[in-house]
Amino acid sequence: MQFKSFDIVPHGTHIDFVGKRRIAVTLSLLVNLAVILWSLPQIHGLNFGVDFAGGTEMQVKFDNAVDPGEIRRSLEGLGFKDASVQTYGPDSDHAYLIRVGRIALLTQEDVTRIVAAVKAKFPVQGQPHFNPEVGDKIDFEFQTLPAPAELQAAIESAGVRVREIREEAGLTAGSKALAVLTQGIQDRVEKDLFAKFASAKPQVLRVEYVGPAVGRELRNQGFKAILYAMALIVVYVGLRFDFRFSPGVIIALIHDAIITLGYFAFTGREFNLASVAVILTVVGYSVNDTVVVYDRIRENQGKLKGKRLADIVNISINEVLGRTFLTSFATALSLVGLLIFGVGTIFDFAMAMAIGIISGTYSTWFIAAPMTIWLEERTAARKSAPTGAKAA
Amino acid sequence: MERTWYWRLALVVAVALLSIWQLVPSWFYFRLPPAERNGPAYEESVPGWSPNAKKHLNLGLDLQGGILLAMGVDVDRAVKAKVARRADEIGDFLKDKGVPVATSAPSADGTRVEVRSSDPKRAEQVVLDSYSAELSAPSGAPDGAVWFAFRPKVIQDFQTKAVEQAEKTIRNRVDKWGVSEPDIKRKANNQIQIQLPGFKDPEKAKELLGRTAQLEFKITDDDSAVLDPVRSELPPCPSGPEGVQLPLPQTGCWMVEGVELPTGIQRQVTFLAASRRQDIEAAIEKDLRPKISRDQDIGIGEVTVGQGPIKEHFYRTYLLRAKTELTGDYISDARASVDNSKGVGEPVVVFTMSPEGGRLMEKLTTENLHRRMATVLDSKVETAPYIQGKISTNGQITLGSGRNYQEKFEEANEIALVLKAGALPAPVTIFEERTVGATLGPELIRSGTVAALVGLAAVMVFMLLYYRGSGLIANVALVENGLLVLAIMSLLGSTLTLPGIAGFVLTLGMAVDANVLINERIREELRAGKTVRQAVDQGYDKVFWTIVDSHVTALVAGVVLMQYGSGPVRGFAVTLIIGLLASMFTSIVVTRVIVDWFTRKDTARLSV
Repeated sequence: MQFKSFDIVPHGTHIDFVGKRRIAVTLSLLVNLAVILWSLPQIHGLNFGVDFAGGTEMQVKFDNAVDPGEIRRSLEGLGFKDASVQTYGPDSDHAYLIRVGRIALLTQEDVTRIVAAVKAKFPVQGQPHFNPEVGDKIDFEFQTLPAPAELQAAIESAGVRVREIREEAGLTAGSKALAVLTQGIQDRVEKDLFAKFASAKPQVLRVEYVGPAVGRELRNQGFKAILYAMALIVVYVGLRFDFRFSPGVIIALIHDAIITLGYFAFTGREFNLASVAVILTVVGYSVNDTVVVYDRIRENQGKLKGKRLADIVNISINEVLGRTFLTSFATALSLVGLLIFGVGTIFDFAMAMAIGIISGTYSTWFIAAPMTIWLEERTAARKSAPTGAKAA
Repeated sequence: MERTWYWRLALVVAVALLSIWQLVPSWFYFRLPPAERNGPAYEESVPGWSPNAKKHLNLGLDLQGGILLAMGVDVDRAVKAKVARRADEIGDFLKDKGVPVATSAPSADGTRVEVRSSDPKRAEQVVLDSYSAELSAPSGAPDGAVWFAFRPKVIQDFQTKAVEQAEKTIRNRVDKWGVSEPDIKRKANNQIQIQLPGFKDPEKAKELLGRTAQLEFKITDDDSAVLDPVRSELPPCPSGPEGVQLPLPQTGCWMVEGVELPTGIQRQVTFLAASRRQDIEAAIEKDLRPKISRDQDIGIGEVTVGQGPIKEHFYRTYLLRAKTELTGDYISDARASVDNSKGVGEPVVVFTMSPEGGRLMEKLTTENLHRRMATVLDSKVETAPYIQGKISTNGQITLGSGRNYQEKFEEANEIALVLKAGALPAPVTIFEERTVGATLGPELIRSGTVAALVGLAAVMVFMLLYYRGSGLIANVALVENGLLVLAIMSLLGSTLTLPGIAGFVLTLGMAVDANVLINERIREELRAGKTVRQAVDQGYDKVFWTIVDSHVTALVAGVVLMQYGSGPVRGFAVTLIIGLLASMFTSIVVTRVIVDWFTRKDTARLSV
């Protein structure tokens, strides 16, 4: 028993990919340029998540609908001028992502005020110690330790709520210091939301915070990771095939990475660690189609001696057109569930991945392989140019 | 059939069965309600014939909830402390060398040592002669004084070490603690982030990790009688034939212990005891603090009573001299060992001091011979052994009697850990402590599983429709691939995160790519007029390296991502890598075995 099978790309299809490369390259260049420009902070910028921007992020869920604008206004009222509020998941969930740009609630003015208030009442030794990159904690050294309750009263008189006062070992062996932990951002926001939206029963599901310096470092590392991965892949493909193919691979990889980035740039969805994971995966995956085409080009170069490279490339792409399409299609198909049921980061993950996969196939057909010819032609032109120059 | 085919079939069947067998613990793990999974109920539920019950899939913090702690190592303060300590040492050093010193103390901002002397020039000369590798003498000191500052490189090294050591100590603690899949990572701003998936007791986590603070040695003040009046103010602790009777009264109660003083006289030293930490703290504030002088301090220790599995605790006080004689940062190493000198093996703690610490320890032990020296970690007295001889760089702590060998050895280990932690010079503070999404997890697991199944179904339906028989074979391989990935993950004890589920789905999609390539090639060969047998052989052979290449490039990305990412993203990378490795096997070997069976005769047909 045999079913009749069908080909999604009919056998014998002949599309002139090489001939259309100018249009394709121009189009790709324009799109890539648009993504890059749009991603620049001076023009629009990426919506960096808390991983990269630093700050505090809270996922809050309400029992019934709440106006996100109202939440933002109440946050501004608390002194978070840079607060952002985003809907998280379907509207029926009434879930929001709240983001503020710092991790310590205390500002330098608060600290100065507190220190002045404490110094007025107790014999403070040296300069109290505060680090905004670490959190809401001030260390005091005293000649004689005051009672924690009295210290707390003195600090709260400066208008800051104390969460805990802890005795710690002092600087010199045997001396003691008091560490004052003041109310943090989460506590403050939670209390405020509870007071304002009590009827909607706010619930903090998740809190993340990353210090601004850490965020910068993670961002740089992510960028480096993508570059390393690209470099390693290019070297591998070069070793396995021919370094003549490398420029095409590099350009295709950069193209796919930028197109994937474009999803985050143009939708304004959060760009975070998971987004870097997507770009890296796209970079590793999209080269697969390119490998298939290059493999065929190599095979055909042996078989079709005497043909122009441009023709060989065209024939090769057409011969494997079906499979380069189908592999990407099958992989994209596996993401369908995530696109339907995923929320937040996972939806973005699947969406960006799908876009990257499509871009990978496109770049294989129109960019990577034709680029090889273009470079080949240029080299040929260069080789003949010097002799021409001499003659002139 | 060829002989190798039977071997390959055996391999494919064996891998499938082993994968299923390896997933047995995970099956029983996820069958339990989340609250019981990490308890004894799980290990009991796993049948005896299954593999090691500890090798099961874990859920990441994002899926099962848990605790995330961010601990800050305050390196600035650690540096200030180092300066302050060095000031004392420089003072002593100069006096030893006969240089007149008025004071040697940290400067106002705490970053330099300021030595006031009638001869600052000579002080500078003498100090720099010995310590120029570490210290410099910056200009700008006031008249009659000289400043010493640590060289920037020394400070930098010290800061890095402080954080590294804190991380190591925390890691040791958490490992010892047996949390499944803790994620501990150092962040750039001297913070250490600890994720404890499934851990639900933040207080316990805080207590255990919070203990990574400073270690001090203090001498007990056993001569002083200041606490004796307590005996008339509080009730004596109830005791029965087997010792103390618990629970102890909430107000606290008194007990005495016989202590041998250096003079050889036995003294009944009074101390306070209570069952709960907060009780003893309240009693200390109320009944003891008012009685002690400024150079005395009260330490709290924990006493374990009872044999075997039923153990009870109570807290007791120690009267200490307030002065910290020595801090833990002079300890270079400590470990549990066995002393065989008395004929029977006796668990002991052996420790080594730094050369500088050795000198201080020698001075301390000579002056306080036959007194008790309390090891105080985070204001808690861990142990208070008698100083039985002069100790310099190498010391040994003998444990109290009354317990069995195993318990003593455990205690020795615990004290060794404490002493090692003592080498941690920077104060570690918990800045944030939170329980992640207790309600969020199950919801995410449900939607994640549904999403994965829908994706898998879509891929399988497509393969079946497009490649018919060959599609079905690819789908069988796909199922084995899924089982294999999960089996390897449970064998490695990997953590399944939400991005990990996405990675799992994605690798399934990538796994069929290989079969798409193979089947397309077979179609092509068939079109070229080859027989089915030839087409199959050529299809697999010609595509083999293409499949390897495409897997390697994706693996490169996966490995780079694993190096870079942490937490959930790392989970994604791990799943991706395992999935790619598994798919090389299933999409080439597994499908080939089945296809070879159906095309074993030259006249065979293949729907592809």
